[in-house]
Amino acid sequence: MTAKALILAGYGLNCEEETLHGFEHAGLSGQIRHINDLIEAPQELEDVQILAIPGGFSYGDDTGAGNAYAQKLKLALWEPLQKFIERDTLTLGICNGCQILTNLGLNPPAGTPYGDRKIAVTYNETARYQCRWIDLKITSTSPWLSGIERMHIPVAHGEGRFMMDETTLKTLQDQGQIAAQYIKPDGTPANGEFPYNPNGSLNDIAAITDPSGRVLTIMPHPERAMFTSQRDDYMKLKDTARREGKPVPETTDGMALFHNAARYFEVAQKKSA
Amino acid sequence: MITRIEVLASPEDGRGKTLEKALKAKGKTATVRVVDVYTSEHTKARSAKFKSSLANPVTQKLDSLPNNFDWALEIGYLPGVTDNVGHTAAELLKLAGAENDNDCFSSRLYLIKGDLEQSDIEKLSQNLSNSLIQRATIKSAAEFKADGGMNVIVPKVHLDNKGAVADNIDLNVSDEELETIGSAGIVNKDGSRRGPLGMSLLYMQAVRDYFAREGRPATDIELETIAQTWSEHCKHTIFASPIDNVAEGLYKGYIKRATKEIRKEKGENDICVSVFSDNAGGIIFDENYLITDKVETHNSPSALDPFGGAITGIVGVNRDCIGFGQGAKPIINRYGFCLADPRTSPEYYRDKNCTISVLSPETIMKGVIDGVEAGGNQSGIPTPQGFVTFDDRFVGKPLVFVGTIGLIPRKINGKPGHVKKANPGDKIVVAGGRVGRDGIHGATFSSVALDEGSPATAVQIGDPITQKKMSDAIIKEIRDLGWYSAITDNGAGGMSSSIGEMAEQSGGFHVELDKVPLKYPGMAPWEIWISESQERMTMAVPPENTDKLIELFARRGVEATIVGTYTDDGRAKITYNGETIMDMDMDFLHDGNPETPLTTTFTRGSEAEPDMDEPTDHTETLLDLLGRLNICSKEFISTQYDHNVQGSAVMGPLQGPGRVYAETSITKPVLTSEKGVVLSQGLFPRYSDIDTAAMAAAGLDLAVRNAIAAGVDLNQLALLDNFCWCSSDEPERLGQLKRAVETIYEMAVKYETPFISGKDSMFNDFKGFDADGNAIKISAPPTLLVSSIGVIPDVERSIDLAPKAVGDLVYLLGATKDECGAGEYYDHLGHLGNNVPETDSHQNLRLYKLYGRAARDRLIASAYALNYGGLGVALAKKAIASQMGMDIDLSAIDSELRSDKLLYSESTGRILVTVAPQDKDAFEKNFKTYEHYTMIGHIAYGNKLNIKNILEIDIKILDKAYKQPLKDY
Repeated sequence: MTAKALILAGYGLNCEEETLHGFEHAGLSGQIRHINDLIEAPQELEDVQILAIPGGFSYGDDTGAGNAYAQKLKLALWEPLQKFIERDTLTLGICNGCQILTNLGLNPPAGTPYGDRKIAVTYNETARYQCRWIDLKITSTSPWLSGIERMHIPVAHGEGRFMMDETTLKTLQDQGQIAAQYIKPDGTPANGEFPYNPNGSLNDIAAITDPSGRVLTIMPHPERAMFTSQRDDYMKLKDTARREGKPVPETTDGMALFHNAARYFEVAQKKSA
Repeated sequence: MITRIEVLASPEDGRGKTLEKALKAKGKTATVRVVDVYTSEHTKARSAKFKSSLANPVTQKLDSLPNNFDWALEIGYLPGVTDNVGHTAAELLKLAGAENDNDCFSSRLYLIKGDLEQSDIEKLSQNLSNSLIQRATIKSAAEFKADGGMNVIVPKVHLDNKGAVADNIDLNVSDEELETIGSAGIVNKDGSRRGPLGMSLLYMQAVRDYFAREGRPATDIELETIAQTWSEHCKHTIFASPIDNVAEGLYKGYIKRATKEIRKEKGENDICVSVFSDNAGGIIFDENYLITDKVETHNSPSALDPFGGAITGIVGVNRDCIGFGQGAKPIINRYGFCLADPRTSPEYYRDKNCTISVLSPETIMKGVIDGVEAGGNQSGIPTPQGFVTFDDRFVGKPLVFVGTIGLIPRKINGKPGHVKKANPGDKIVVAGGRVGRDGIHGATFSSVALDEGSPATAVQIGDPITQKKMSDAIIKEIRDLGWYSAITDNGAGGMSSSIGEMAEQSGGFHVELDKVPLKYPGMAPWEIWISESQERMTMAVPPENTDKLIELFARRGVEATIVGTYTDDGRAKITYNGETIMDMDMDFLHDGNPETPLTTTFTRGSEAEPDMDEPTDHTETLLDLLGRLNICSKEFISTQYDHNVQGSAVMGPLQGPGRVYAETSITKPVLTSEKGVVLSQGLFPRYSDIDTAAMAAAGLDLAVRNAIAAGVDLNQLALLDNFCWCSSDEPERLGQLKRAVETIYEMAVKYETPFISGKDSMFNDFKGFDADGNAIKISAPPTLLVSSIGVIPDVERSIDLAPKAVGDLVYLLGATKDECGAGEYYDHLGHLGNNVPETDSHQNLRLYKLYGRAARDRLIASAYALNYGGLGVALAKKAIASQMGMDIDLSAIDSELRSDKLLYSESTGRILVTVAPQDKDAFEKNFKTYEHYTMIGHIAYGNKLNIKNILEIDIKILDKAYKQPLKDY
């Protein structure tokens, strides 16, 4: 059996197609579902192993990024969602999806039940949308991130700053729930310094998992860094490859996430260059 | 019962912090707390469920304002202005149990503590709001306390238009009165006028004669419909009219003819599929897809409300894409702004008493940037390509260009994707947002229309999420179900244009105007009909499909409504609650406008070439030029625009490790195809001061050359033209226009690059008053923007501008002539000069073909098409982009020119490339037959740009000069 991914859409989410492509490239099967269709048939969640809420601009970020979509999910799909997460499944929220899952309280600090909001993802310190490539240090044993140490991938958001109280932060740190942190290209911590930390996020946090590690909420976009041609340094990489007489590697950092999901469900990997 | 909900953000909130920083920059220390306010009359708004859905418990507090502030400033929208946050709050209210139709209104309150006077707060308020669309309330802490808080305001629209259906208008009046109706509008009962119809006496007489033949008076809605249909905006009368000896007019005689001749010449290799006949132009992408392109302008609205004008522009041109053929998916947005220097504060007024000031260049710049940001980012469309050009004559009227590229299957349900036709009997279905008074007379509005007494203003604000829902439903679902037979967007003229145009295919229409869903009651039928309310598409739907189509839209959160039927009876008919209020002959409506022949004159503008010495300090000159607004980095725009959504980015707006702002992009729109879409643009407004032919040629050449440099074959390239002219009722301006059009006809035919779409905006003049109340007119320089779109077979062939490796050789391709006229160097020194760059398209074509072969063979490691600031700036940008040193020797160039002219001449047709040493022989062999290729140096170890005997500058210093000027915007 091939594990199946369900990717939510609707109301301004907009990265569903490339996110689906990532799963399919990794050998998984997947389908895009409009939230209203899932509300009509919530039992669909019982037939899938992966739920992804992709990036986008649901409800135009009005009333806080991800808030309104989260409210809609909470009202209409809370129980099926909880059941889904309790099963041995994987859940991924990228960018707007991260904001939505955080607003739903689905990445709580250990000891806090799902649904309690202890963490916020709010306006960038610059109060300005930022689209740029950043570097991440991966500090998690989440199945989504296994074997990954660093990633060079882009952010694209106006509200990507994780905020929480000190107790919550400490719990996340102690429980290994901080999944990724912004670093400088030389590997040292960004220490809040713009543009390495593009949003002023507390403790340079870029991604968080739930206590189980199976729910990953990540602000940067792995699905925009799956192929080498998507990279900001692609021109240099392909030039170097040509001079050395080598082919340009097809995939790059972000694809590892999707491969990890496939590996978790023991799906045969597609061979890639 | 009104509920006002106040949501206080944490003291760390980025929005407050940014304001504090801005105040600090003006020497004021303050702390700012941000409060999001929601106001509703609905009973459910009091519920805890609703309130808590608006506040994040981690960072926000509900209804508990601090009291340690000195000033309270609240900004909300005026009645009828699109309030997107309010809409979302209304959706949350629905989730909390309210019925479907409910209103919520948003506003934002700033609580400010610090050493600030009332006048400081007023200034801040002016920076944060626009009185055309917003209200601002200021209270001191004492007033706030005495009043028990801020005022509770529900900005609902109240119209008392009850009973009005349609008024008969007597056209059997004097020519003088006819002319007044045409220019100032229909008279209301109270003697006021409804706003300009924009029709000349000649047009009004034709209308009068038509209704005399019909044997009845015209109704107001009929007059408004004719005015919309015949407007310059919709009919492009200046491009369509006979001009001098060109009976066909400029459009058919030059632009369209160029494309026709090129397509014929290219024969089997023709890349065009749909040109000039649809909302956008379409060319072949691969065996499965077409790509479409359209570039629009939104200049007048952006002068008054820069944010609203720009966002409405970008989401509007997105709809041109959605409305191409059976519906194309928007895959790329592009932008271009022509602005005045944001660091200046010129004093100009709209009124003689100097009370209504034009917006400052900084306000306009920030507003238009934000508008395209909000529209593009929220729609999930990448914006990798654009430009900003500065000239102080754009002060009263900025030029705002917005473009959208689309992707559409060549076959949909077995039929060509670009073909559509409304059939008689098809239902007219309108989907998307509701209709309000937004943008009535949008094409012709003036300050008269912007009376503060009118509740719903003529300025519009786009609602990208409503449009995104609609767009997804159409492009990702309904289109492929084949449920509609035609689709188009609602832009200028609203339904009167969209339905009118589609009905030309079927042969008539009958609209039941009372069926149209409204934002608020009380609108007159003529207002409903021509309203430019955004986010609507019109479809022709066979009757058997309407129910399922409307239901699917509803499941996607989109309202769709049947508003009438397409007919074949040759009549344009409207009823309102059963009463016929419009019934006109379709032929008259569409083709009844009388021809107005135009005549032209032309005089070349110029000064003598300046008599001046070479600069004594070349370093200073180069650094000065790098810091000029037309040359310096606009990185702050690129990083605000999402340029990699859809996972399609290949070559972005910031190139090389040194992040040079580039005006050419490459996108890989189909994840499973290696093909790329290359985009670029070119324009040189100042060249018009000498000769519009040189201006037009240089713009077209740069749009082509940028794309060629990036690796596209010339035969895979198409063009779009956007003319932004001024005073187009003056023979001299028309002469400049004709000259520009003749020029691009010749060049396009020479390059065999067809025009596939275009648009014109003919009156970019600001008429107002200076600080002394003297009447002035500031005309934007006649500007042609040429945009290019091409297909590259494999993105691995793409070429960016950043040099790649030390030791690579630097070549200059193309001839450098004594052509600094109207260029950056002369302008920097205060000269215009005479020697404007003349484009030799024959020589350029030779180079581009040879270059294309070298690019195919991947012999070029980096390339930059020289433009503003010539070779000197090009060398500096390459050094900055790569962060590598360069050793250059200009003496290798076979030229008599002195070094400043060699460095800063803006001769067109030149490309600066770097080549790996291993490719040197093959590269030189490739260009063996071409006279103007010269190796001028190499990429060097070290950190300096070294031009032998002229200058030596540290890259860090170049970098700073290039990035400093707009860094803090």
